Amino acid sequence: MDNQLIWIILKKLRAPFLVIIFTFSISILGMMLIPGVDDKGNVYYLNFFDAIYFVSYMATTIGFGESPYAFTYPQKLWVTVAIYLTVIGWFYGIGTIVSLIQDETLKKAINTNKFRKQVLGLKEKFYIILGYNRITKDIINFAGENGYRFVVIDKNEEKIEELYLENFQPYVPAIMGDATNQNVLKLAGIGLENCKGVISLFEDDAKNMEIATVCKLLNKNIDIIVKATSKNQFDYYKSLGIKYIQNPFKIISDRIYYNLTAPYIWLLELWAYGHSLKFSKKDLFPHGKYLICGYGRMGKALEEGLKRAGIEYEIFNIKTQEYKAKKGSVIFGDEEDKKNLEKLNIKKIDAIIASTNNDLLNLTIINKAKELNPKIYTIARENSLEDLTIFQAAKIDRIYVLEKILAEYTYTVISRPLVNAFIEEIRKKDNEWAEVIVNILKTIAGENPLYYEIEINEKNAYALCRRLEKGEKITYGDIRKSRADRNELLKIVYLLLKRDEKTILMPTPQTEIKINDKLLIAADEENIDDFEYIVNNIYELEYVLNKKGT
Amino acid sequence: MNTHKIISGFFFILAMTLNFGFVYGDPTIIEQHSAYELFFTIIVNLIATILKLGDKTQLGAVLLATSLVADLQLLASAAVWAVALYGVQKFTVTTSVTIVSLAGGAFLANLVSVILFIGDTLKSKR
Repeated sequence: MDNQLIWIILKKLRAPFLVIIFTFSISILGMMLIPGVDDKGNVYYLNFFDAIYFVSYMATTIGFGESPYAFTYPQKLWVTVAIYLTVIGWFYGIGTIVSLIQDETLKKAINTNKFRKQVLGLKEKFYIILGYNRITKDIINFAGENGYRFVVIDKNEEKIEELYLENFQPYVPAIMGDATNQNVLKLAGIGLENCKGVISLFEDDAKNMEIATVCKLLNKNIDIIVKATSKNQFDYYKSLGIKYIQNPFKIISDRIYYNLTAPYIWLLELWAYGHSLKFSKKDLFPHGKYLICGYGRMGKALEEGLKRAGIEYEIFNIKTQEYKAKKGSVIFGDEEDKKNLEKLNIKKIDAIIASTNNDLLNLTIINKAKELNPKIYTIARENSLEDLTIFQAAKIDRIYVLEKILAEYTYTVISRPLVNAFIEEIRKKDNEWAEVIVNILKTIAGENPLYYEIEINEKNAYALCRRLEKGEKITYGDIRKSRADRNELLKIVYLLLKRDEKTILMPTPQTEIKINDKLLIAADEENIDDFEYIVNNIYELEYVLNKKGT
Repeated sequence: MNTHKIISGFFFILAMTLNFGFVYGDPTIIEQHSAYELFFTIIVNLIATILKLGDKTQLGAVLLATSLVADLQLLASAAVWAVALYGVQKFTVTTSVTIVSLAGGAFLANLVSVILFIGDTLKSKR
């Protein structure tokens, strides 16, 4: 790869070099063969040095004058010929070199070289992101804080420029290329030891499928985070052994399901994704009759969720393309539309979900429904973040932004694997259990607790590891004590413990600590700091562990 | 038949033969060695070098290396001549031997280059 560049340059320089050598040698030879007359009238011949000296400054148009003596007419005649010969040759050579510098292939080769060096220079674990857009930008911003690095491939040069303008710190190497091309993927470091995975969240499902297959073949050890919107794709990805399959419609459907059947699980889950641990007004969906507008991929997913929750629903099958073709716009709400809604008995419906793939259509459906039934609960799908302000202004009760949900899920998977495991576990529990947990969290860790992941090892928990290595038995309860007064509890909650492949939800204080345990903790900032002190500082740990009570 | 092969083969071999012609003769007597012949040797060698540029194969790289060695030796030879005549203005037997032996070294490099070139030609089945 490295030499590609030099070969391109060399090959293109062949012709100009040959031209320069030919013209120069002919001119030099001619200068030497033609007799001149010196200042005393004697015949003399220019020697090699004189000839080379003269031709060099003549050809480069520097022109110091005739040397060593003024030329005779035969000499001048030859010089005239030589000027045109060498000067043209010289300019041709220079011109070729200049155009070579601006050459697209060369530029690309230089960029590729630079990119390759940057990728090889990454010492941290990194993910390859395919396609740069708002979703992936969010992922870079959030997960980047957790020490992961990223490499971006996009086939659009403007997007790459945009990424450079963003000035990510640390640096994000980016290259223009087709993400389905395995050479580009290899260049992006898919085969490298520290490549953790590939993120492919393209709108085009077929493309995601192709990429996932290629990536899995190129390196079977990497994680692939891929978007799938249908059951077929999901099964296919599963068969490839891909762990992280993102289906935004399924996510929304699940959220609605949990909101309806187990609101506390819903609350915990949302909290885990960075929302607050509190029900705000209008957070809870009404139990009653639902109307799903739009019966595409999302509509079907919603239907499944509602069915599972045992909720009554109606489907209003409105297709964006058809609607647009018929009415010439996507502004919903003329007489016919109104009749359609009335036919569906809009006055008796408790909640409406606008789930078409057109934002304007969703918005106008919601508006019309509200006009006909002011008490209706409104849920809207929003496809692109650009329209966010309009949606907020429309006072919709619940907005699902596909882009944001995808971004949230992806960076949780990447940078907080334990949170992901936690969500999986709580979904197996019931609402009562979740309510207890929410109350525990609130009483111990405050209204809005943070979560914190730690792996018990030499680096993160120096003091604790030293004692564990000596064979001492320490339980999680032992270290959950305030370092100000060891008779008081430290205000943290152990949410999840991952030991090898086993996950323990809410580990009891009697659980023994083992090295390499991965722990998810909820607490406020101050108590997280205290916990870090205790596990790292031998004196703090000694004080906290002192069982004699002195 | 390959035009590029003919042209490059022509220049590679011409570089060697001219070089030989210059070196041939008593090294202590500079009159037995023509300056014009050295000039042409240098020019043809430079052309041969350019023709070897941009060949990505292993052999191409070695050919280029031999050519660069020959260029270096010949240019050094010419430089010694020029400095002796116009720089220090003292032309001794040592100078003469230096000029010829430097060109002799270049001849060896050219010989290697031609052998490699012929070997490659024989090896290819087309």
